[in-house]
Amino acid sequence: MSGPPARPVSAVELIRIEGVSKRYETASGAVDAIRDVSLAVRPGEFCTIIGPSGCGKSTLLSMVGGLVSPDTGRVLIETRPVTGPDPKRVATVFQDPGLFPWRTAVENVEFGLEVQGVGGKRRRAVATELLGPLGLRRFAEKYPRELSGGMRQRVAIGRALAVDAQILLMDEPFGALDEQTRVLMGEWLLDIWRRTRRTVIFVTHSLHEALALSSRVVVMTARPGRIKSVIELPQGYPRLMESAELVTLRAKLWSEIRDESLRAMGES
Amino acid sequence: MNIVAIRAVILVAILALWEIAARVGNPLIYVPPSAALPALGELLRLRSYPDLPEHLALTAQEIVVAYGLAVAGGLGVGFALGLHRVLGRAYGPILAALYAVPSVVWYPSLMLFFGLDAASKIAFGFLLGFFPVTLAVLAGIRQVNTHLVTVARSFGASSTTVFTKVMVPGMLFTLMGGLRTGLALAVIGVIVGEILGSKSGMGSLINHAYGLFRTADYVALVIVTLVLIVASDAVASLVERRARRWTA
Ligand SMILES: Nc1ncnc2c1ncn2[C@@H]1O[C@H](COP(=O)(O)OP(=O)(O)OP(=O)(O)O)[C@@H](O)[C@H]1O
Ligand SMILES: [Mg+2]
Repeated sequence: MSGPPARPVSAVELIRIEGVSKRYETASGAVDAIRDVSLAVRPGEFCTIIGPSGCGKSTLLSMVGGLVSPDTGRVLIETRPVTGPDPKRVATVFQDPGLFPWRTAVENVEFGLEVQGVGGKRRRAVATELLGPLGLRRFAEKYPRELSGGMRQRVAIGRALAVDAQILLMDEPFGALDEQTRVLMGEWLLDIWRRTRRTVIFVTHSLHEALALSSRVVVMTARPGRIKSVIELPQGYPRLMESAELVTLRAKLWSEIRDESLRAMGES
Repeated sequence: MNIVAIRAVILVAILALWEIAARVGNPLIYVPPSAALPALGELLRLRSYPDLPEHLALTAQEIVVAYGLAVAGGLGVGFALGLHRVLGRAYGPILAALYAVPSVVWYPSLMLFFGLDAASKIAFGFLLGFFPVTLAVLAGIRQVNTHLVTVARSFGASSTTVFTKVMVPGMLFTLMGGLRTGLALAVIGVIVGEILGSKSGMGSLINHAYGLFRTADYVALVIVTLVLIVASDAVASLVERRARRWTA
């Protein structure tokens, strides 16, 4: 196993990614998606991953979610190695929302609870309560094909929140939303995160979103994805984008990402 | 004009043309409606064939059993080949090759194996109905969205749960089509089997009337058989439509 020398896992790390790599074998050759990534996420943290398209962000999230096993290295959650999905502790909002087309919005939100054997009345109550703040109250009985792209993504968010797992993996959850809804949804998520003390790993391409929401931003390099830099953000919310501190952080973040995006574009 | 009216007009037109054609030609061969309808009346009042209900019941029973076996066998084989990679690779091509053989070639050997009674008709109905069900299961499994399987697994779904909550609903659309085609073919298998050689059932009555050149009775029997077929397909299409509305 490659990766950094093992350190004792401290209590302040909830998730620990240790030197993970992944190579996909495809018909047109092997693709090195990520190489030797290590990252520790503290409990209650809002950790954002940002990086050029194809650098392995989704792959990294799938490893934490136990859906993809790393070729080298490992992922630990509370010191236990991840070997498969752990729905009690990890819930995922996928990049492709992946709603079940034969289920209504509210039935989709209920899915995780249903799998866990929660009774019909209870799970309907939980799901219905979530639909309100997601702006979907009037769409509870609609099927995914009757919803807009942004609404579908919000249903997927509801489905992940309904199971009440400590760790929330969110892969570009607001990618299909318009700018205004995006800001509102970000505020709503921030509120949920702070109230429920969840730990969030969040993938986005939006600098603004990263700066407005995260405790920490992890910048990844172009493929094969490695960690390029980690930027700590100030603690207070709401973030005042015009403040000197954030203007400086924004410039720094942009310069880090700019190089990698250029590299990723030059390659393809 | 509404659809019922259009249909009625077409029906009347066809009957009129039929009547004219039959009168111009040989009324014994081209049985006109004016002869077929009274024959149908006689048949339904159990005058020409008093034991019609028994024959009809036997044919219906054969269809039910043949179709039941075709569904059970088709689902079993389809899921075994579709979900088990090695089995699928080993037997999939054989299945496709068998399907390409016109099924009627098997019928003489089925009669040898199962005799002239119901068993050989059931076997033939099963044989015809089995393939569409199996192939629909295989096609349906390929159609299941793998991302949805991943999503379900991430929420802790076991293999069984993935099967019932993702695979089955995801393939229902295709599966229903296969089940309906299977029913139509099982019905055809049973009736063709009866016509090719039997002592009872609707096919045997049709054969009897035809052999004695009782052409009007023959047409009446065919009409009753058609009603049986159309009724079974109507039930199937109703079930299919409900399932499709659910999954579309
Ligand atoms: N199942 C797979 N099979 C083969 N190659 C894959 C698979 N999944 C991902 N890849 C490849 O691995 C690389 C990383 O993919 P990944 O989806 O993790 O990137 P990403 O950072 O999430 O990209 P984006 O920002 O566009 O969502 C890409 O080059 C992709 O083509
Ligand atoms: Mg991605």
